[in-house]
Order: sequence, then C-alpha cells, then structure tokens
Amino acid sequence: MSQNPAVVTGLQTEQSITRTTLSWRSLGFEPLIDHYRVHAVRGAERDFEPTEDNLVGKTVYPRFEHDGLDPLGETWTYRVLARSDAGRLGRPSRPVSATSTPSVVGTGTPVAVVGAFDGRTLEHRFAPAGYAQIPVEHPDAVVEYVQGRDTPGTAWPYLLPGPGDSWAGRKVYRARWTFELSGAPTDSDLAIWLVDTTRLGGVLQVLLNGSALTSIELPAGATRGSREGDATVPGSTLRRCYFEPEVPADRLRTGANTVELVLAEGGWVAWDAVGLFARP
Amino acid sequence: MTQPAPTRLSRRRLLQAGGLSAATIALGISAPETAGAEPVGRDELFALGVASGAPRPDGMVLWTRLAPDPTAADGHGGMPLRPVPVRWDVATDERFRDVVASGHALAQPELAHSVHPRVTGLEPGTEYFYRFRVGRGRSPVGRFRTLPAPGDTPERFSFGVTSCQAWYHGHFTAHRHLAEEPDLDLAVFVGDYIYEYGITSANLWRRGASVGPASAVEVETLEQYRLRYGLFKSDPHLQRLHARVPAVVTWDDHEVQNNYVGASSAYGMSDELFAHRVAVGYRAFYEHLPLDVDALPEGPSADVTTGLDVGRLARFSLLDTRQFRDPVPTSAEEQHDPDRTMLGAEQERWVADRLVGSPATWNLLANGVVVSPITEDRTDQWDGYPAARQRLLEAMARSSNPVVLTGDIHKHVASELRADVDDPSAGNVGVELICTSVASDGDGAPTDSYTPDWVQHDYVKLYDGRRGYLHVTLTPEQMESTFVVVPWVEADDTAPREVVARFTTPAGRPRLDRA
Repeated sequence: MSQNPAVVTGLQTEQSITRTTLSWRSLGFEPLIDHYRVHAVRGAERDFEPTEDNLVGKTVYPRFEHDGLDPLGETWTYRVLARSDAGRLGRPSRPVSATSTPSVVGTGTPVAVVGAFDGRTLEHRFAPAGYAQIPVEHPDAVVEYVQGRDTPGTAWPYLLPGPGDSWAGRKVYRARWTFELSGAPTDSDLAIWLVDTTRLGGVLQVLLNGSALTSIELPAGATRGSREGDATVPGSTLRRCYFEPEVPADRLRTGANTVELVLAEGGWVAWDAVGLFARP
Repeated sequence: MTQPAPTRLSRRRLLQAGGLSAATIALGISAPETAGAEPVGRDELFALGVASGAPRPDGMVLWTRLAPDPTAADGHGGMPLRPVPVRWDVATDERFRDVVASGHALAQPELAHSVHPRVTGLEPGTEYFYRFRVGRGRSPVGRFRTLPAPGDTPERFSFGVTSCQAWYHGHFTAHRHLAEEPDLDLAVFVGDYIYEYGITSANLWRRGASVGPASAVEVETLEQYRLRYGLFKSDPHLQRLHARVPAVVTWDDHEVQNNYVGASSAYGMSDELFAHRVAVGYRAFYEHLPLDVDALPEGPSADVTTGLDVGRLARFSLLDTRQFRDPVPTSAEEQHDPDRTMLGAEQERWVADRLVGSPATWNLLANGVVVSPITEDRTDQWDGYPAARQRLLEAMARSSNPVVLTGDIHKHVASELRADVDDPSAGNVGVELICTSVASDGDGAPTDSYTPDWVQHDYVKLYDGRRGYLHVTLTPEQMESTFVVVPWVEADDTAPREVVARFTTPAGRPRLDRA
C-alpha cells in the first residue's frame, strides 16, 4: 500500500500587515497529497502537538496565508503536516514562530479615514457588485470626497476603475480626498488597504497637495472584488493587499490637505479603506 | 495481505511507481478474492450509483465508488480508511441468472474507494447487465451494450450529449429525460462535470437543496474535489443516466478552476503552486468516472484523450482542449500567430490521424470549447486559436462526415463549419452541435443578451438559452440531431421535455437541414 507522507521541511515565514505567509518544500505527487494541514498556537517558540483544536487551515499548495491577524501584529508558532490521498498523516514539521507586521492602523492615531479597515468593501458606495454605476455617476472619471461632509456609502465608490477596464471607458480614474488638519502636522503614515485587484495589476499614483508622494505597483489580484465584497469569508479568494507609505510632517499643512489616488495603469482596485495616521 | 503482480496495466510507469503503486492501482481493477478487510456489506455503500465507460467490442470499464455518506467532509464518503473488496458480476439478464463474467476489485482509500474493473471477453453488439457486491450489500443494476465488431456497420447508433452540470443552479431534469430516451447507446459528457465554486445562498438556486459548510468554499484540496463529486453525483437522475448507458467524458475548465489555461491559473498564482491543485483535480476526475487506467493522472499531467469506433458507422475522438493550450493572447498579432496551439502538437497529430485514417462514415470530435468562429474576443474558445482551428478544419476536410460536439457556453447552438472561416464562399467541411447546460445558469430563456453575437452568422442555424441536452442518431444515410430543452430547472425536476429544433445531416452533405 502507499506510504505515509514525508515530514514537511523547509518551513519559512514572510510577514506583512494582518498576515503571516508560510511556505515549505513541496512533497511532490507520490503519494498524492490531499492537502497540507497548518497548525498554530499563539505565542513564540513554543513546542506543541498538532490537534484538531489548533488546526488553522488546510491548503493543497505548499504555501499558506495566515490571514485576518490583528493590525497591531500577532505572534504565532506554526507546524505543518501533510495528509495523503489515502487519508494518512505525515509527521509535522518543526515549529516556527513569526509575528505579523504591525500596521499604522493599529500603532498610529487616526487623523482622517474613509471606510473601515475590516477586509470588506461593503460600506462603500455601489458595493458589493454595482460597478456599472460608477462610470454613470462619475463620467469625468473623478471621485471627490470631503472629510466631514461625505460618507463612504454616499460618495466613495467601492472600486476605483483603471485604464484596463473597458466597462468604465478605459480611463484613468482619480479619487480626490480632502481633509482638514486643525493643529500642526506631525510625521504620519497613509494606510491604503485593498480588498482585491484585477489580474492586470497596475500602478496607483499617490499625490499629496498636488505633488507626488509615491507610486504603488499593484499586484495581480483575483479579479473578484468587483462582485464579492467580503474577503473575511472563509475560503474567500479575494486577494487583499496593504500599502502604508510614510508622510513626513513637512508634506502636510494646517488646514485643508488633499490626497489624490490616481489609477494610472491596469485594472480596478477594490477599496477596503484609506486613512492618515499620526505616528505615536 | 497478499498483493498480486498487476496484470492489466499498460502503463510502464505504473510498474515503476512508488507510493500509489502499480499493485495498488491494479487492485482497483482486479484483485484476489481474499484481498482487503472484512466486508462492510450494506446497500448504502452504493449511494453514488454505478457507471460504465470506455466501451469496446469485447468489454467495458465498470465503475462505482463506495460512499455511504457521499458528502462526508473528509472526502472519504463515510468509508473507513482501509481497503474493502468489491465483487462485480456481468450477466445477460437483469436478474443475473446468466452471469458471464465476474471478478474482484479492491476499493482503496487511495482512490476514495472507487473501482474501475475492465471486463473483457464479452460478445460485440450485445446488451449486458452489471452490478457490484460488498458482503451482502448490492449496488443498483447498470446496463450497457458492447460496441459492434470492428467490421460491422450497425443500422443505427444513438447518443446523448450533455455539459455544464452546476448542480446548485438547478435540478438535473435534463438527465431525467435523457435517461428515458427510447434510443440511447452512449452518453457523451463534454465538460464541466463539476464546478469548483463555493456553494452559498447567492448561487444555490436548486430549490429544496441545502449543503453543509464544507461545500461553501471554493474547491482546492483533494478532499474538497471528492466532496464536490460526491455532491453532484448524488443526483438520482445523473445516476440513472450512468446506469442506463456507458459514458465517455472529456473535461473543460471547471474540473479544476474557471478559465485555467494549460498549466496556468487565471487568478494570479504561479504555475509551480497551481500544479498541486491541477493534480488533485485531475485525480478526483479519474476517481469519479468510468475511465480506463490510461486516464489515471501522473501528478499534474493526465491523458484523457481517447476514442472509440462504432463498427464502421462512427468514430468518436475525445479531445482535451484545456491542458495543452497556449496562454490567452495579449494582442491580435499573438492571437493570429500560426504557431499557436489549442491541443498541443502531439494531440493535434493524433486527432488528424484519427480523422484522416478513419474507416467510419461519421467522425465525431467531442471537445470542451466552441470551434465555430463567433467573435474575436472569445479567446477562451477556438476563436482565440484561429490558426489551430484552421489546421483542425483542414484535417476534418480530409475525413468523412466530421461532426464536432461541444458544450461550455450554456446555450444550444447548431452551426455549420466552413472549410475556410475567412472565406464565405468556401464550402462546409462539417457541422458543430453545441449542447446547452444541464443546470448552469438556472432556468435561462430562449434568447438573451448574447444571442446577437451568435445569430449574426448565417452558418449558425439555432440558438436557445435554456437548459437541456442533445440527442443524436446516426445511420449510414444520415445524422439526426435533436435539441431538447426543459423550461425550468430551479423550482423542481418536473419540467417536461420539449424539442426546440431537429436537424438532419445527410451523409456526404455537411449541412444542417431543419427537420
């Protein structure tokens, strides 16, 4: 009869905001691996026995994203084992610990935000699937949002279309977000969280008060955020991504500030939320 | 436990393989009576029914999968994780008084307790009945007719064509009616036997049905693919069809993932990672269908191309239009690159040889995606591979009465195929019969927003957007193709059978005449 799967080796981690990505050496196809089982417990450097209670995910790939972690960062210790086509379990890998990258959403003080940093587009206008309305309501390809006056549900469409989107007229869309700073500016960070992008990827230019702040290379996504609004549903294939460029104090000013988000290349982005956070 | 040397395996690799070894596979095909654990005999073991396939003049592959609980979340169907011996019988009568062949196979957890014994030594053109037994448990009885002897020309041969079985979108009323067709010798499944999408309240339109949380997520692991086949194959109408006639099957994309191309996912994942999903998707396909062992995948590679000859009346070739295709073109220049391939060079040669060298009156190609030219932007279809299509049409032109059978689009379409798609004055080389979905897209309507794209062409003779199946009868003189629809599938499975169109195609005249 077929043998048990081999022990999983080469377990590595890669940290990002709200996510620790694990990868390991593939065990190949003999025996065929039904899936890998990822077990985890909170805390660092702990040895533990894999049980059903600490199973955090199954994956057919030699890769797993431990998602939905606290934006402040979470530390977990992982062990991975394989289950074969016959239902046999291999021995677990050695334990490996990792802490997800803390986000400014957790470490900073919110100055102004559009939406909730929750993995969903749902609070935004036309979400989760009314994208066809966006070019109708924004024929000039400009979204205007004034903090305090507008709300995400009335003025911030859940997608920002790009030149790769024929349904939106293949235009460069821009979202212009204006907010007031009452006191003296301090060093801050801009949090830009996306629920999904398209298979085209793209380039999102970020301008602050009329001049370039940064240019973000967008990864290829699942192209599903135009029709599904919740990346936290178990098994969701939406591909969240996070960008948190720094904003030095001297780039901000007391009174009105305008952040402009310009989708210069590629297909749409689906917003989770954007926000300015002052550093502690 | 004693394991015999494999006796029925043609693939050298199986003799060399470790892991899921030659002997292991062989036991799913032929095993000694003493192999395996004590039987756990109950009729409920056969909750997924029986099937036959890979027909030959002297025999057939029989299939069942032991699964008392087909939707068990671990994908093992409620079976213990140990081998179980299965006995099979073939008889000339439904009561099994005249058993002409019998044997043992070993249902093993490696293959989700599926067995694929090949019966040989039968008479050509003869009806048989078969069943499986485990302990005192008995399967439903299936039947099949062996193919005619190679030199014979039968008076007629009838088959059904179905595709796109999105179980959650509706009831399998089409299968209910197809299983009751008076003339039926074969069922041809042309792709999307399952769908991989998560089943939630948003897409569960099959009234009265419910699924557990394990079915709510997109299918990626082997246990999930097994569970998905278990769910779809629990449908009694699909089971009745399989029990009624042999089946031949090719796949399209949803047996793995929507719109995958060659070895690549369409959803931003490296090929190296995606190969793991392909491997379990292909494995589950083999486990759940009555396929020859040649279709058993080797990791992320599988050979599901196959063929059969109905004497000298018809030759079927089942193509794989998914695994070997070139990537989606990124420009018109790339789209029209003469080197672009849909089938891969080896399969292209194989099908050309089968077409050109065929002794049959009718030459049928079953494939996953539409051959007829419709619009330039339908790059998932052969429209995305125009040079490869032209080569296929040229091979068809050198064969006798070629007919393409297709699914994929969830519409009934009948089309004539011109020798040169760019030349309106070119004569026809054959016809393409595209069957609508069994359930995908729910009830549907006769026309929809896609209709103009199709009916703009004078060679498209039918378009209908409802659910149904295609029934074809071949004789030496003509082919009769009947497009059947059912007016609804979401509410229940009681919709009547309605014929939306019937065409005749005279032998030697590649056209569609409305009957």
